[in-house]
Amino acid sequence: MRRLIGDILLPRATAVALWAWVAFNLALIAWVGIQSLKDSRDVWLHPFALPTTPRWDNFSSAWQAAEFSSAALNSVVLTAFGAVLIVAISAPAAYVLARSSRRVAAPTISYFAMGLSIPIQTILVPIVVVKLSVYTFMEDWVTGWWDNRITLLVFQVALSVPFAVFVLTGYMRSLPHEIEEAAEIDGAGPLRAFVQVIMPVARPGLTTVFVLNVMGLWNETLLALLIAPLPEERNLPAALLGLYSSMQYSSDWGGMFAGIVILVYPMIVLYIWLGRRIVDGMTAGISR
Amino acid sequence: MKTYERAFWPFLLPALLVYTLLFVAPSLFGIWVSLTRWSGPGSEMTWRGLDNYVALLHNEVFATAFTNTFVMAIVGGGLIFAITFLAMVVLRQLKGRAFIRAVVFLPMVISIIAIGAAVGFLLNPEGAVNTVLGWFGLDPQPWLGPEMVFRCIVGGLIWSSTGFYVALMMSAADAIPAHVYEDAQLIGATKWEQFRHITLPLTWDVFAVSAVLWVVGSLKIFDIVLAFTTAGTAAAPPIPARTIAVQQYIVVKGAGLPELGSAAAMGVMTLLVTAVLIVLTRRITRRDRVELS
Repeated sequence: MRRLIGDILLPRATAVALWAWVAFNLALIAWVGIQSLKDSRDVWLHPFALPTTPRWDNFSSAWQAAEFSSAALNSVVLTAFGAVLIVAISAPAAYVLARSSRRVAAPTISYFAMGLSIPIQTILVPIVVVKLSVYTFMEDWVTGWWDNRITLLVFQVALSVPFAVFVLTGYMRSLPHEIEEAAEIDGAGPLRAFVQVIMPVARPGLTTVFVLNVMGLWNETLLALLIAPLPEERNLPAALLGLYSSMQYSSDWGGMFAGIVILVYPMIVLYIWLGRRIVDGMTAGISR
Repeated sequence: MKTYERAFWPFLLPALLVYTLLFVAPSLFGIWVSLTRWSGPGSEMTWRGLDNYVALLHNEVFATAFTNTFVMAIVGGGLIFAITFLAMVVLRQLKGRAFIRAVVFLPMVISIIAIGAAVGFLLNPEGAVNTVLGWFGLDPQPWLGPEMVFRCIVGGLIWSSTGFYVALMMSAADAIPAHVYEDAQLIGATKWEQFRHITLPLTWDVFAVSAVLWVVGSLKIFDIVLAFTTAGTAAAPPIPARTIAVQQYIVVKGAGLPELGSAAAMGVMTLLVTAVLIVLTRRITRRDRVELS
C-alpha cells in the first residue's frame, strides 16, 4: 500500500498536474497573442476562436493610445540604464567583499543583507518626499528643470543594490582564487584586473543579476506610479494600467491585448534566450 | 598586499553610499515621519508620538489590509512550498523536466499588470470562464466581486510565483549526485522517502533562503491587487482585496492632503512584521548543514 501511494499514485498525479500547469501557461501566452490580432467584437464574443483576418492595426492603435510609444521608450531607457548601473555598482563591491579578509568585510555583507528585509513600504513616504524636494530644489536653484524619471531611475538602482550585492558576493566566493594571481604578476592595477580578468570569469553570475534586474525594472509598477505618474513619464506597466481602465469605456479590446503583447513578449524572448542560466546563477549565489 | 585589498574601499564605496544614503537613511526618516502628523514638504510637521500607530490599530480598513497581507504570506507560502515539494518528488526523473521547469517559471518574467489585465478579462461576469462554466450547465460566478476577488488574487499569486521556487529548488537538487539515489533505491526507499531523506536535507540551505525571500516578497504585494481590480473602479481596489501596500499607496496618492505620518506608520509596521516573520522563518528552518562526504 505504501509503495502504491509513494511510488505510483502520488508521483503520477503530480506529473499530470505539472504537465497541465505547463499547458496552461503556454496556452495563456498563445491566447494573448491571438487575441491581439482580432477585432474587438471577436475578442469579446469568440474569445477562443482564431482571428479571421489578422488585425495588425491593433498594434498601431495601442501604440498611439495612452502614450504607449513614449511609455515604451521610457521603459527601454530606464531598464537599460538601471540594469547597467546596478551591475556596475554592485559587482566591484561584491568582489572585494567576497575576497577581503578585513575585519569589516563580514559585517558589511550583513549590512547589505539587511536591505533585503527592509520592505519598500518603509521608505515609500521618504521617496515621495525626496521626489518632491528634489524636483523643487533643482527647478528653483540648480538647473531650472528636472525630470521625475531621473529620480525614478536613482531609486530603482538604490533599491536593487542589496539583492545584487547579496547574490554576487555568494557567486564571487565560488570563483577560484588563482585567477587574480596571474593579473597581479603582470602588474595590472585593481581596476584593470577586475575588468579584464574577474569580469569575464564571473560572467555567468553577472548575466544572471543583469537579466533578473532587466526583468524587475521592466515590470516595475509601484515606484513608477508613485514617482513618475504623468502620461509622458509613464513606463509600460503604468501605461497598460491606464489603457486597461480606459478600455472599459472605449472597449478597444484588441488594442488592449496588443498592449499586453508589447509589454510581455520582449521579456519572454529574453527569457527563452537566456532562461536556464538565470536560475542556475542565482542558486550558485544563494547557496554559498 | 593583494590587489583586491588595495581596491577595497574604492570598489565598495559607490554601493555602500548609494545603499546608505538612498535606502537606509530614508528608512530611518520614514520611522521619524511615522511619529508625526505631516502632509509633505512645505506644510507643518507636528509631533504625534505613537498616535498614528494606535489610530491604525483601530482602523477597520487597515485591519482588513493587514489580515489580507498576513494570510497571503502564510497561506500563500504554505501552498507554494507544498506544491514545490510535490514537484520536486517527481521532477528529478520526469521526461522533459528542463522544459517543465522553464515553463512554470515563465509567469515570473511577465508583468503582473499584464497577467491581471488578461485574467481579469477572462474572469469578467460575462467573460470566457463563465461562458465555459455555462457549457457544463454551471452558474456564472462573480469572480472579481467583493466576496471572491481576494481568493482569486491569492490563486493568481500562487500560480505566478510557485515556478520561481520550483526552479530555484530544482537547480539545487540537480547538484546531488545520482549515486545517492541509486543507493536509496537498493534499500527500497519510495520516491517520497527519497525526497524526505535525501533531496530535502541536501537542498535545505536554498529552501531556508527561499522561505525568507517569499516572506519579504509577500509582504509588499501590490501590483497583482491593482491588476485584478482596476477593471472596477480606477486606482481604488475594493476594501476586501487590499493589502497593506495598496492601502498605503491609496493614502499617499489619495485625494486631499495626504496623511504621510499614517502612511509611514504602515511602512514601519510592515517592517516590524517582516522582521518578526524572518526571525520565525529562520528559527523554523535552522538546521545543521548536511554535506555529502
